[in-house]
Amino acid sequence: MMYRRSAAIVGAAHSRLGEVPQSTSLGLMADAAVAAVADAGLRPSDIDGIIVRGPDDEYCFQQQLGERLGLNAAFATSLDNGGASQTLAVILAALAIEAGLATTVLCGYARNAWTRTRRSGSRQARMNQSTHSRTREWRDSFGYFGEPATHALGAQRHMAMYGTTKEHLGHVAVSLREHATRNPHAQMRSPLTMAEYLDGRPVVDPFGVYDCSLRTDAAGAVIVTDTARARDLPHRPVIVRGFGSHNNLQGWTVDDHMVQTAARASGERAYRIADVSPADIDTAQLYDCFSYMVLAQIEDYGFCQKGEGGEFIAGGALRLDGAIPTNTSGGQLSEGHVEGMLQVVEGVRQLRHEYPAERQVPDAQLALVSGHGGNTVCHTTLILERG
Amino acid sequence: MAAPTTPVITEPARPRRALPQPTPESQPFWDACVRRELIVQQCNACGRLWLPPSNRCQHCWSEDVAWTPVSGHASLYSYTVYRRAYAPELVDQLPYVVAVVELDEGPRLITNIVGADPGDVRVGMSLEVVFDDIAEGVTLHAFRPRNRNR
Repeated sequence: MMYRRSAAIVGAAHSRLGEVPQSTSLGLMADAAVAAVADAGLRPSDIDGIIVRGPDDEYCFQQQLGERLGLNAAFATSLDNGGASQTLAVILAALAIEAGLATTVLCGYARNAWTRTRRSGSRQARMNQSTHSRTREWRDSFGYFGEPATHALGAQRHMAMYGTTKEHLGHVAVSLREHATRNPHAQMRSPLTMAEYLDGRPVVDPFGVYDCSLRTDAAGAVIVTDTARARDLPHRPVIVRGFGSHNNLQGWTVDDHMVQTAARASGERAYRIADVSPADIDTAQLYDCFSYMVLAQIEDYGFCQKGEGGEFIAGGALRLDGAIPTNTSGGQLSEGHVEGMLQVVEGVRQLRHEYPAERQVPDAQLALVSGHGGNTVCHTTLILERG
Repeated sequence: MAAPTTPVITEPARPRRALPQPTPESQPFWDACVRRELIVQQCNACGRLWLPPSNRCQHCWSEDVAWTPVSGHASLYSYTVYRRAYAPELVDQLPYVVAVVELDEGPRLITNIVGADPGDVRVGMSLEVVFDDIAEGVTLHAFRPRNRNR
């Protein structure tokens, strides 16, 4: 039996965002949760499901949040799909609601990456660690650290196969920054020129600093309930029309996974379940840990052909008046990196038509939201509809 | 077994790398590197080859797994160039190339490209394995451009 489209997002919020000194991930999560429940016009006792995730070293985050907010729950869990977890939380909430396991589910994610970095000194702290304390067998010995390099390998392969250029990646960064200039909450609000992008401090080829997402303190949360209950609540509901997932668990370096990502199969499932096509989507909120991942997903989701993403994006496709306005908050590259949770929040707000004209996708009816992570092979897709 | 003819590229003053921490499954791979041999796993049931090491064939799930030497010839699948050091032993090696290479026999592995200016590295280029003794009893593989006329 197919999903009956009986779930809707009725509340959405984020906490303070950016540099929130002395913040804790749990404190930010509580702030976003309280704001999302209020936005939905619900009471705490209405929440009977919790799917939340914190930094990877936080054990059983849903229990911690329930303790902090005084909530028990019929259904509660955290997730371990990395950046794909936050859209997966909404999918699981919709399924739990249809199955009768819960009626109203809080989904969220929190991190305090900026505060943690300040506290530890991050790169310098790592430099001072003893060598053997951080060894991973097939990586560290070869000087291979961190997610930038993993995604850079994909970008370099894409460039070699399709003639994609550094400037093409730059158009992703510049387009998203343009969106962020209209977002008063964004961490990066000054315009970025192509010249500044190209002059950015190198990280790992072909990435410079502007290809990489931000270090952010923030949490986001949404409330999912059934469409019948949603009609009695203050905001126009946002229907969870469809969803998909796919996981290239054999790894990023296997087959052609780094140029045709799991987004492709996840998107095909989501389009089928939602009974829509790429041409029907009014705005995309994509998991943009790195500039290349926007380019790859734009292709994988069928907004243009594989290999043509560079020219498509250089032509202005991601802009508010473009073919597929994308990451209209500025995304993780310029608004703040909250592991895809703010992409869910932005999709909801665009479909509510909440924004002033300068930031609103005109008459947005359908939004596609993606999550990507878990060693960069786990992928999830939401297709949301203005109710 | 593959002829152990490839030269060692170790420079005496070179900073050491983080040492691999082998598991019981991967120990034979690292032992072979010390002998200047590149080996991969092979399934005796279906014949497939793979890395990294496993206790079962990924394709047919057979437990009948053996190690087999490979030519050490490969092509560059993708790469990136590090221009900042994220570990102290790497400061003097900047810029350096981290790569995914595809062995002529099929499996891909993470390694370094040496013996080439990072600006001359190209996806698809022909490579051959070399070995680098980084500590007593510990040898890493790396790949360098392969001169087909050599």
